[in-house]
Amino acid sequence: MTTQEKLQQYLDEIEKHDKRNNSINAFLYLNPHAEEQAKKIDKKIKEKKAGKLAGQIISIKSNLCVEKLPASCASKTLENYKAPYNAEIVQKLLNEDALIIGMTNMDEFASGSSGETSYFGPTKNPKALELIPGGSSSGPAASVAANFCDIAMGSDTGGSLRNPASHCGLVGLKPTYSLVSRYGLIDLAMSTDTIGPLTKTVHEAAKILKIISGKDKKDAICQTDIEINLKKIEEIPKDITIGILDFEIPNKNIQNLIDEKIKKATEKYGWKTKKIKIDKIDLAIETYYPIVYVEAFSGTRKLDGRRFGKKIEESCGPEFLRRILGGEEISLAEHGGRCYHKAQNARQIIENEFKNAFKKCDFIICPTVPRLPHKIGGQISVEEMYAYDVLTVPFSLARVPCISIPAGEIDKIPVGMQIACNQFEDEKMLQIARCFEKLGE
Amino acid sequence: MENEFLHKELTENEKLKIKERAKEIMKNFEEKLSEIDELEIKTTTKKEFARKENSPCEKKIDKEIMLQNAPKKNKDFIIAETKNW
Repeated sequence: MTTQEKLQQYLDEIEKHDKRNNSINAFLYLNPHAEEQAKKIDKKIKEKKAGKLAGQIISIKSNLCVEKLPASCASKTLENYKAPYNAEIVQKLLNEDALIIGMTNMDEFASGSSGETSYFGPTKNPKALELIPGGSSSGPAASVAANFCDIAMGSDTGGSLRNPASHCGLVGLKPTYSLVSRYGLIDLAMSTDTIGPLTKTVHEAAKILKIISGKDKKDAICQTDIEINLKKIEEIPKDITIGILDFEIPNKNIQNLIDEKIKKATEKYGWKTKKIKIDKIDLAIETYYPIVYVEAFSGTRKLDGRRFGKKIEESCGPEFLRRILGGEEISLAEHGGRCYHKAQNARQIIENEFKNAFKKCDFIICPTVPRLPHKIGGQISVEEMYAYDVLTVPFSLARVPCISIPAGEIDKIPVGMQIACNQFEDEKMLQIARCFEKLGE
Repeated sequence: MENEFLHKELTENEKLKIKERAKEIMKNFEEKLSEIDELEIKTTTKKEFARKENSPCEKKIDKEIMLQNAPKKNKDFIIAETKNW
């Protein structure tokens, strides 16, 4: 199938199911030049001059800049904002002849775990239409799960790729912090923000990471190159110790699914297991949110309605307003930085705990999300919503690479399992994830 | 209890309530974090990564799009503020 034919198939699906029929609401904007670009890619393929991603059709989360396309962050604040340049990862994908199909819906400024906070309305879960798809990369996940594109790109601050991957039955990869340039990402919390793909297979995720990772002088912290060997990822490693995270979740059915997978892996590959306890992991949510609130407040001072968009405090929705007003409050001089300082201390403790844990095991495994997704618009408190991230946030605080892969289904709703390795062991993590994926083949 | 996450236009009263709620959440979190011991957090400054003063932008940013994005502008410049000094 040519790129043009594939694009047409996807556009037909989007036409039928994104705004009409199922009304999934995954896309906010479709690339008006896609057909013309597909034609050019097909010509390159014919001439055998095409890049590694030729024929791959990719959707982009609306907080990543694609030159001349809207980057609204699903907010009224940036409703009419058009990106003046390409994000570094977008440029790398385009250099390999990927085709960008459009910009996707998301939680407003990546602030949410359900996809409900978008100014443009919530996104539906293609696997269970009445339920949330997870967030904040709700549109990217839905676009892949609904067969609107091959791959989606998104961001992950505290679980925003892994959480929707879990609810939509996909692979969601959060690389080691600082391995992928954030140049051209409209930030939520720069000390935790990462960029990664949502895919149907581990191999596709590895292929994308290989292309987008590496040093970039435009992102001061992005100064490391690592090897990602796609052949090595297919090998089964020996003498492996699985670290099973000692953390009790209320939904036993979810834990049972993960335990079954671990059992199969130990039987098939001869791997050993070890329980891993992380001190202060029960304080991860209380640690993460003050940091995010303060950094979100700081990062949005540019949104004053002068250079672009509207003034943030006058135009954003309830959850993002909660974050910036909370961040403003705890960064006031009268509080002397107490809450933020305590949170930074706790973060350091959690990061050190993980470093020590990875001396005792090769990787850590746990469910991605501790519960099944709720109904769109259903009753849920702030504390309950934040608790969706209780198992993704600790790894974000520790800046380690993580991947969520499908573990099975409960009542026909997908459930994901999370695999994490030590910092910059992204290749090893992909190899392990591939081993688990093979158990179901 | 209602869904506090769905997007909606907020009244001034609702904004005040959100501010109070945000304060309450942060207060609760701070209380839970009170058991954390003080640590000496080490920071490093790498001079080679510091941006030089007035260093030119590597890539030319499309001026036309920048002006399109500005809510108030003149022919070739953005109007930041008027009569608010």
